[in-house]
Amino acid sequence: MKSISLYVDKESFIHDFDPITKLLYILFALFLPLILLSFTVSFISVGVSIVLLMAAGVIRKTIPVFSFVFLVLITVVIIQGLFRPENETILFQIGPLAMYKEGLLYALTITLRVMNIVSAFLILVLTTKPSDLVETLVRKGMSPRIGYVIVSVFQIIPEMMASMSTITDAQRARGMETEGKLSVRMKAFLPLLGPVILGALINTKERALALEVRGFNSHVPKTYLYEEKTHALSKWVQAILLLLLVGAGVWRIFG
Amino acid sequence: MNKIVVEGLKYKYPLSDTLALDDLSFQVKEGEFIGIIGKNSAGKSTLCQALVGLVPHFYKGAYGGKVFIDGLEVKNQTIADISLKVGMVFQNPFTQVTGSKMTVYEEIAFGLENIGIPRSEMIARIDYVLDLLKIEQVKDQNPFDLSGGQMQRMAIASIIAMKPDILVLDEPTSQLDPAGSEEVFQAIQSLSKQGITIILAEHKMEKVALYCHRVLLLDDGKMVDINTPGKIFSRGDLEQHGVAAPVYTRVCKELGVRKAGTSEFPVTLAEAESVLRGRKI
Ligand SMILES: Nc1ncnc2c1ncn2[C@@H]1O[C@H](COP(=O)(O)OP(=O)(O)OP(=O)(O)O)[C@@H](O)[C@H]1O
Ligand SMILES: [Mg+2]
Repeated sequence: MKSISLYVDKESFIHDFDPITKLLYILFALFLPLILLSFTVSFISVGVSIVLLMAAGVIRKTIPVFSFVFLVLITVVIIQGLFRPENETILFQIGPLAMYKEGLLYALTITLRVMNIVSAFLILVLTTKPSDLVETLVRKGMSPRIGYVIVSVFQIIPEMMASMSTITDAQRARGMETEGKLSVRMKAFLPLLGPVILGALINTKERALALEVRGFNSHVPKTYLYEEKTHALSKWVQAILLLLLVGAGVWRIFG
Repeated sequence: MNKIVVEGLKYKYPLSDTLALDDLSFQVKEGEFIGIIGKNSAGKSTLCQALVGLVPHFYKGAYGGKVFIDGLEVKNQTIADISLKVGMVFQNPFTQVTGSKMTVYEEIAFGLENIGIPRSEMIARIDYVLDLLKIEQVKDQNPFDLSGGQMQRMAIASIIAMKPDILVLDEPTSQLDPAGSEEVFQAIQSLSKQGITIILAEHKMEKVALYCHRVLLLDDGKMVDINTPGKIFSRGDLEQHGVAAPVYTRVCKELGVRKAGTSEFPVTLAEAESVLRGRKI
C-alpha cells in the first residue's frame, strides 16, 4: 500500500533512537541558536543535522524537501538583499538594482535558522514511524483518542485515494473521459467527491462501532504490544542536550 | 444457567417510524450456539448490536424491554464494560480495520492493548488466533492489503483474542469462498465446544442447520420462533417469512420423507443421506 508518511524503513543507529530523544534534538536545534544568537552555532547545528541524516542513510529523501525550502528562501534573500530598510553597504549592482550587505546577512541568518529547524525535523520524520512517535506520546500521557486520529489519518487517506482510483476506473470503463485537459479532468473529478465522501462518512460510523467493541473507550490502563523503544545512550544524549541548552542560557544571562 | 436473557425488547432507530425490534423475548444458556435467521432487514444486525449494547448506547433511539448479560442489564452498563464479556464481529470486514496499525499482528493486538492485557499473554493469544483462523502467513502484511476473506478472518481473530464469554457474529463469512467459510465455521465450532456462547446471524442455511443448537427466526423485527434447526426448518410457513430451508430439507420436503419417528424433515446432508438411504425405492 502507498503510504503518505515520509518514514524510510532502514537500519541505522539514528533509527534505533527513541522518538523522545529526537524531539528533544529538535528543541535543542531550535533554541540553541536563538539563545546564543550566533551565526557559527547555527552553521554547526545545520552541519550536525546533515551528518546525522547521512548516517541514517536518508539524505537522498531530504533533497525534495530542501529544494522546496530553498525555493521559498531564495525569495527571502532577494527581497531582503534589495529592500531591507537597514541596507547601507552596496555589495554589487545589476542595472538599477543594488544588493546590500546588511540585507543579505540578515537573509542568510533566516536561511540558516530555517534550514536548521527543517533538518532537525527531518531526522525525526524520516527515521521514525508515525505510529511509533504517537505511541510514545500516548505513553507520555497524550490522549489515545488524539493518537488514534493522527495515526489513522496516515492510513485512511491513502485508502480514500485508492477508492477514488477504483471509481475513476469504473467510470472510464463506462466511457467517461477522465484524462486530457484540465477542464476534462475537473469534470471527471467532481462527481467522484460525492461517493467518496459519503462512503467515507458511512465507513467512519461503522468504524466507530468496531472501535467501541474493541475496548477503545475502556478505562482499564492501556498495555502495549511492543516494549518502549529506548537506546542505551538515550539518557546520556538527552542529558547532554539539556545541559548544553541550560549552559547556553546561563552563559547568555551572566556571560 | 442463562447467559443471555431478553425480555420484551423493543427498539426504534432515531428518525425511523417503524420498530426494528418488536417485543423479543428469549433466553440463551451458557455454551449454546444460536443462529439468527431472517430475510434482509428483518432486524438480525440490530438484534446482534442490542446484545453488545451498541443499541441503544451508540445509536440512541427509542428502547424498551430489558437485555441481561450474566444477570447485568445492558442498558445500565457502558459499551466498554459489556465488550469485556461480549465480543462482536460485524458484517463489513473493511470497516473493522482500525486504520491505526501497520500489520495484521499489531491490528489484532489493538483490542488487547485497550483492555490492558499484559504483553506475554497478548503474544500468546495473538499466536493462538492467527493459527485458529489460519492467517499466520499474512501476519506481517498491512491490514488494508488483505483480500476480503482474509480481512474477515482477521476481524474474527481480533475479537476472539479478547476472549469474550459470548461471541456475536454478524454474517462473518459473507466474503469467504465455500472452503474458507467451512474453515471459519469449524473454528467457531471449536470455540463453542470450549463453552463459549455463540450468537450468529447468517444467511447460509446449510451452515446454520449443521452447526447451531437452536435457531431464532426473525421477520420484520418480530420473533417468529426459536427452536432446534429441525423444528424451524420443518415449518410450513418459512417462505412467507422470506427464508428458504437448507437445500437438503427442501429436497426431502419435496419427496415427503421425514426423520424416522418424528414430524421433522432432515436439515443436514448427513441426516438426509441416512433417511434417504434407509428408504426402499
Ligand atoms: N443505522 C440505522 N438507522 C436507521 N435505521 C436502520 C439503521 N440500521 C438499520 N436500520 C433499519 O432497521 C431494520 C433492520 O435492519 P438490520 O440491519 O438489523 O437488518 P438485517 O436483518 O441485519 O438485514 P441484512 O440481512 O440485510 O443484514 C431495517 O429496516 C433497516 O432499514
Ligand atoms: Mg445485517
